[in-house]
Amino acid sequence: MQEYKVTQITKDQIVPLAERMKKAGRYLVMIHGYLNKEGQPVVCWDYSVPPAIESYQVVGETKLPSIGELYDTAATWPERELNELFGLEFEGLDMSKRLFLPEDMLETQGKGQIMVTPLSELVDNMNKVKEEE
Amino acid sequence: MSYIVPIGPYHPALEEPIHAKLFTEGEVIKDAEVFVGYNHRGIEKLATERNAIQTLVLVERVCGICSHSHAFTYAMCVEDINGIEVPKRGDYIRVITAELERLHSHFLWMGIACHIIGHDSMFMHIWDERELVMDLLERMTGNRVNYAMITIGGSRRDIDDDLRRDLLASMDKLKAPLDRIVDIVLNDRTIAMRTKGVGVLTTADALRMGAVGPHARASGVDIDVRRDSPYSAYGDFEFDVPVCSNGDVFDRVVVRALECYESIKIIRQALENLPEGPINLGNKLVKIKEGVSVKMHEAPRGQLSHMVVGDGGFNNHRVSVHVPSYKNTPTIPHMLRGNTVADAGLIIASIDPCFSCLDR
Repeated sequence: MQEYKVTQITKDQIVPLAERMKKAGRYLVMIHGYLNKEGQPVVCWDYSVPPAIESYQVVGETKLPSIGELYDTAATWPERELNELFGLEFEGLDMSKRLFLPEDMLETQGKGQIMVTPLSELVDNMNKVKEEE
Repeated sequence: MSYIVPIGPYHPALEEPIHAKLFTEGEVIKDAEVFVGYNHRGIEKLATERNAIQTLVLVERVCGICSHSHAFTYAMCVEDINGIEVPKRGDYIRVITAELERLHSHFLWMGIACHIIGHDSMFMHIWDERELVMDLLERMTGNRVNYAMITIGGSRRDIDDDLRRDLLASMDKLKAPLDRIVDIVLNDRTIAMRTKGVGVLTTADALRMGAVGPHARASGVDIDVRRDSPYSAYGDFEFDVPVCSNGDVFDRVVVRALECYESIKIIRQALENLPEGPINLGNKLVKIKEGVSVKMHEAPRGQLSHMVVGDGGFNNHRVSVHVPSYKNTPTIPHMLRGNTVADAGLIIASIDPCFSCLDR
């Protein structure tokens, strides 16, 4: 059955690991990212090692090596996404073109996460206005 | 003479918004670029403001075609984090819905492909057969698009004996039209002339760029999450994974047509061996324990992955959704090179793209 295994690694291990995986013919499922409770970026390189998904996580690094040379667009697209939406930098990654951001975003507002007001804040604000009325 | 031909993001030849820039020499495409993001709705951000039940409703709306796949994959992540074991009958119903969804998705795409190449009688024939599948989904779930069949810990609706009998009879009924469709696809001269040798993606390129699903299998890459990393009840069923080798649009049609037989095979096995027992553990709202999980599902277009991070509260700390079109769309420029502008719409459509899924 499909299992999910997590291993913590350092950023120096990212490329050698990708080389090993590529050599073994493993698919890169995805590069995911999120901010943990402490606000540190966590980046996960998930490889398909049937029947399992092996996830290799790096915590607290904002500058990471790109594995685009090994996994081509399967790696560069998620890296570009993490750059645009989380502000993470990938060394060697071509960021001259946008991926998801609006056409003029890179020129006018630079990189980084688009700040969206959380729904809970919008609801709180709405309730405050109602109370005032 | 060199031209730059822009197509989209809104264009009659495209079903969904993508912008393609074609660099041409006369009528031949020398290079191409694709631009996505026109449908970015911030689904992942919205998910951090919702609990598990609300998120099922939200992720179903990522895509109108593979809505069940999203809810299925998200639920598997939450169940993995919380250590929830789904009752066997619930798993079987999930699989039956997923395979019906694959059938309707493949019929839909084959119809569209025929429409793009100008074979409209075939388009109408295929979509007519698709209606049988849509009727089954509607009868089973109450809906034609967002089925709402998934809950955390199982399925939301049961299959009674009458429905089970009718579903089995419908699978028999579907076989004859499918035989006719496959016969036409394999032997029709118009389809062959418009699709053979068009938009080729070699096995090496498919592997290099990480193509997935029927798109990869048409290029000779033998992958299928259902077989390679079984989940839910898929380990209980026998089925084949059709693989072709030429990597052109024709092979993409053939792979999808043959996959319909396998889906029917899986549905039949699931219905014939439908276990007794509960379908879920009660529709309780659960707190998502602290932890991370990534799950994969073979959606109609290929490998779909969700990552869910829980922090012990009711809401998700993070949900990350990555769809097959995310892997397949970057292969489009590669496939366009060396083809004519007239085939660009067909080649883009041949990966069965879903930009609604891709942009989220």
